[in-house]
Amino acid sequence: MATQTATQHLKYDRTLGYAAMDARGFYYPVSLTIRPDGQMFIQGRSHDGDTRGARITVMDYESNYGGDFGSYGSNDGQFTWPTDIAVDSENNLYVADEYLQRISKFDREVNFVNKWGVKGSGPGQINGPAGLTLDYEDNLYVSDHRNGRIQVFTTDGEFIRAFGSPGDGVGQLNLPWGITVAPGGDLFVADWRNDRIQRFTTEGQFVRTYGESGSGDGQLNRPASVAVDEDGYLYIADWANERVQILDPDGCFVQKIYGEATDSVWAQDYLDSNPDEKGARSQSDLEQYHLLDTDDPHEIASHIEPIFWSPICVELFDDKLFILERNRHRIQVYKKNN
Amino acid sequence: MTTTASRQEIKLMAHLMRRAGFGATIGELEARAAKGYATTVEELLHPGEAGDIPQDIIRRYHVDQSELRQPFSAAGNWVYRMVTSANPLEERLALFFHGLFATGYTKLNQARALLNQIEMFRRHGFGPFDTLLIELSKDPAMLLWLDNNENHNGHINENYGRELLELFSMGIGNYSEDDIKEASRAFTGWTLGNVDYMAMRAMKDSIWPYSRIAWHFNFDEGDHDAGEKTFLGETGNFNGEDIVKIICKQDAAAQFICTRLFQFFAADQVTENGQVCIDEMKRSYFESNYEIRTVLRTLFNSSYFKSEEARYARVKGPVELVVGAVRTAGSYTKPTLGVDDVAQQAFFMGQGLLNPPTVEGWHEGDEWIDSGALVERVNFVANELSNPDQPGVRTIINRLTENKESGVTAEQLVDDCLEAMGSLDVSRDTLNVLHDHVAGIEKATDDKNELGSRIAELLGLIGASREYQLA
Repeated sequence: MATQTATQHLKYDRTLGYAAMDARGFYYPVSLTIRPDGQMFIQGRSHDGDTRGARITVMDYESNYGGDFGSYGSNDGQFTWPTDIAVDSENNLYVADEYLQRISKFDREVNFVNKWGVKGSGPGQINGPAGLTLDYEDNLYVSDHRNGRIQVFTTDGEFIRAFGSPGDGVGQLNLPWGITVAPGGDLFVADWRNDRIQRFTTEGQFVRTYGESGSGDGQLNRPASVAVDEDGYLYIADWANERVQILDPDGCFVQKIYGEATDSVWAQDYLDSNPDEKGARSQSDLEQYHLLDTDDPHEIASHIEPIFWSPICVELFDDKLFILERNRHRIQVYKKNN
Repeated sequence: MTTTASRQEIKLMAHLMRRAGFGATIGELEARAAKGYATTVEELLHPGEAGDIPQDIIRRYHVDQSELRQPFSAAGNWVYRMVTSANPLEERLALFFHGLFATGYTKLNQARALLNQIEMFRRHGFGPFDTLLIELSKDPAMLLWLDNNENHNGHINENYGRELLELFSMGIGNYSEDDIKEASRAFTGWTLGNVDYMAMRAMKDSIWPYSRIAWHFNFDEGDHDAGEKTFLGETGNFNGEDIVKIICKQDAAAQFICTRLFQFFAADQVTENGQVCIDEMKRSYFESNYEIRTVLRTLFNSSYFKSEEARYARVKGPVELVVGAVRTAGSYTKPTLGVDDVAQQAFFMGQGLLNPPTVEGWHEGDEWIDSGALVERVNFVANELSNPDQPGVRTIINRLTENKESGVTAEQLVDDCLEAMGSLDVSRDTLNVLHDHVAGIEKATDDKNELGSRIAELLGLIGASREYQLA
């Protein structure tokens, strides 16, 4: 399952993070964003039975821990069902929350600044903000997923425009999730339940689609997130196929990766502190594909620890692709083969 | 207005759906009655597309139901399925086997393995009993729950072998201690992949570094005792499959599984008439090569099951009660923060899904009811059914207020509500209480909002009645 194609556009580099409800680590991470200085902000989500994961962990590529902030709740600076985090040119942070129907803003020192959002389907109203991104003029784009559209706001929450409508036609959206503005300036939307990526101008004009339903090369099953590099290559979190796919600027298949996680620095620290587990783990074969009797990628990923399980967010930084796995509470980093 | 004959058919259909499902409102009962009783039984016995909430939708919103680590998250996932499935008998049967082959979170710390076991019950629950028992014997949750990972060639651990005979297939008195030892020898080598690491993580409740790793069956041939064994009078180089096939040939196995099915689907107590029904089920068991579907068909089509004696002869289990109320109310039909709480409510009433107290499962029947549990039961159902904002409650209100002539009497309104909730029968005492509650309603019926509110109250009150606790 973890075989790579002959074309090695990306090569595995390292794994970051591990599962933790507090301090170092993260718990059900749903999104990450990286500031120009390399600081990574990882948004955790939590669940009904344990709300401790709803926080933002700060770390860097070298596994230096930078603390955390935020908590579960509905007060200022808190989260209930957070979905995405983004950073603007002044290093302010924005967090979307699909339960509280709002966007929260934090300054560069991670102090809460303000929040906005009213549930509804009218201009400026939102129903399930699921993805965030900013263009090069610091306009904030929100995938307003239950309304099947993209809305654009100023960084203070003033409505600018909206485009898209619910459906599966050209330019229509079905529960869109992650979004990104490419270096070339266009907006790419993970049109989740239509199994495709849609590309628009930032004014909302439809450009083209990428992908179709399926599990073959170039096909997608519930894409959750997309990143685009300077050369126009697309990196897609092919969520329900439990993989990441790379397409070239023409939409042609380039590579698929399934993950090959190793022990992160924080994972090694844990195992060093628990030698009994480390010993038993070292005696184990964590890739027992031959004992599985399922072809369901989700089930397979639950059994095989090194491979992606719920790859939910992809983020490019320098020559690296950061892939966040919600169910494995970690980040796998791949480097471009230049 | 239905005729007397069709009203009897509706009543019978309501009885079937309380047992083979989680109850049904009058709209569903009418639709099913139009198809006929026997046709409905066959539909229930042959599940099609469940039509429940797609898992990708659930997983998107409920991160915990994607990973399925915590028991209440996994239980919430099953609640969604029970609430929205078009195949209620499939879920009831899975619930039956969950109680019979009781496997619990407390020791395992692995909710996904438990939910995978439930899915196995869906796949094999209607099929041959021997196939089901073989799958159960390979089930990773069961293997660890009853220590078969410690059952080695030359050093047997009898726990699984003993419970297989005592609690899962025949019952005490039908085998010897030697049979337990020989069965255990046959199951040596039936274990998990990476068993030492998995068992250690389960014991320590470790999620580190990268959360749970799902379990899978592994037959360790090097640890299997392939020698000759004598079991229930037969001798051979038996393995686990052979043991199960010998078990399923026994009259005791037929008596065991048919009685347990009878008690779950027909009546808590086995009367003389009930035993006649069980004997018919046993004949079906052998004639069909132990197929559970055939046994259930015999039960549901039996004169005993259709008789007045069998009506309201069971105390609803907590999950049955909670899911029935939620289905009627129409709540939790899409991802909703708080679905875990539905599973927790059943836990507070004494039935923690995926977490039975012991390998013996739950003590059912009258033992479901104690004063604390009764308060929880009444409060939950009344809250669900008295909320006019719930879509299912609103549907009932609309049905009862549309074309309603003014001046409806308290008696008519109570009758209509009982009919709408599933053609329920209640005692004279209960009727009096319900009539008193809406006394004077004739004056309010010109006001649809007022009438709707009173109907919602009445639905909640019916949900709080003694009869609603029974199936």
